[in-house]
Amino acid sequence: MLSKRGAILVTVTVIMAGALVAESKKELHFTVRPRAGVSVMNPYGSISVRPSPGNTVTVLATLHSDRVEVDNNQSGNRVDIQTHLLAGADAESGRVDYEILVPADASVTLHSSTGSLHAEKLHGDVNLEGPGAAVDVRDISDAHVHVKTMNGPVNLDNIKNGHVEVDSLSGDITLNGVNGSLVQVVSTSGRINYIGDFGNSGEYRLTSHSGDINATIPEWTSADVSARSVRGEVSDDIPLQPKTHTYFALDKGRAFAGTVGRVAVSSTVVLRTFSGKIHLRKRSEKQ
Amino acid sequence: MNCVELQQSLAEVEDGSTLEQRAHLRACPKCSALLKELSLIVASAGELQASDEPSPRVWNSIEIALRREGLIRPQRTNHNQRTPLPSFSARWGAARWLVPAAAMLLLAVGIYERRQSLPAPTHEEAAVLTPVNLSGLNDDDLIQEVAASAPAMQGQYEENLRRVNESIRDAQSLVNENPNDEDARRSLMDAYQQKSMLFEMAMDRQ
Repeated sequence: MLSKRGAILVTVTVIMAGALVAESKKELHFTVRPRAGVSVMNPYGSISVRPSPGNTVTVLATLHSDRVEVDNNQSGNRVDIQTHLLAGADAESGRVDYEILVPADASVTLHSSTGSLHAEKLHGDVNLEGPGAAVDVRDISDAHVHVKTMNGPVNLDNIKNGHVEVDSLSGDITLNGVNGSLVQVVSTSGRINYIGDFGNSGEYRLTSHSGDINATIPEWTSADVSARSVRGEVSDDIPLQPKTHTYFALDKGRAFAGTVGRVAVSSTVVLRTFSGKIHLRKRSEKQ
Repeated sequence: MNCVELQQSLAEVEDGSTLEQRAHLRACPKCSALLKELSLIVASAGELQASDEPSPRVWNSIEIALRREGLIRPQRTNHNQRTPLPSFSARWGAARWLVPAAAMLLLAVGIYERRQSLPAPTHEEAAVLTPVNLSGLNDDDLIQEVAASAPAMQGQYEENLRRVNESIRDAQSLVNENPNDEDARRSLMDAYQQKSMLFEMAMDRQ
């Protein structure tokens, strides 16, 4: 007769064995030419993309059950990876986590409904989309970065000389060290937090309907800044050379417009919200 | 011919001139109104000049919508005999026309914005081109589909839909108060694009 402790041990062992059997890994390799395109569509689970040293795309997929498969296709210089849900798959059993290595100049398109999306150290275009996905993009240069989320938080870190567009409904958005010819963020209710120098003589446009907008800039920033909140408040801790001629009324506490630093090399910064607060502040030396 | 069949047939014969289409249109005010709106969009689009082209974000959103609908760049995999994801029409049924509707909504808002930037449109013109009238987006359909395909996400979609509708109302009221306010017009455009994005995301649900 099996003791109670023995029965528990057997049960746990069986469950763990089942889990191990259900979880499986798949590894795929594709040889590509420069500036390849890589697309990953994954309903449930995370996708992480990092650079590879050579001309190979490597896909490491962790499948969380046997109710899901990974389909793949290489067409010319384009690689498509798609999670294939089998009958009965749900958010847990249909989950696949991807670790992907691509040549640094590859363009990547990642889609996940619920998992996190991560891309780093690339200089090809990056498109990330997912309703609930937490998005993290860092160390990207000379590339387009487009992000679309519903309520997942978005974190962009160290994006240089980029063309950046972020659309989010309610997720909070943080941009740290992001610059380029165009940096545009549109949010319905998420907070927007920009930390950086508004560099590259670019156009920076941060807008939210009800979310607050905070911009923290160093002393050497050169930018034409205009801020306006229709129903909220605006404030700034930085001395601006005020502009007197704007197409909107400069109501005190609701709007300001002026120049920081040298006009000749300045970027254009537009901060807009309907009911949120806008705060432009100087970065302390410690930051 | 029912409403769904008519809306599908408009992809081939867009002016509703076939016998079957005309018969249905006579009996169905909803489809008749839809066709009227589509015709207005097509007619207005013809007046656009290159200099009035909407921002790249608009084209990007339309391209994504068309790709999802399968109208451009179909993808093939090694498993052609199977459908890797449930088909769009199977998942969305009668609501599948919301994709092109969302895309056309963006175009309509672009036209609307252009019209607003022209000198003093008449009251009647502005009323006809108000994007709310052109939207054709049915929030209830969206929520029903999310409830069926992703019930766990229903609350989040409802909340985001409420917020984006609120932002549209606020932006619209600003435009109404001051049609020459560039920020207000842009806010309205952004708000509609956010709503369009919400629909796109909902349609990607499994």
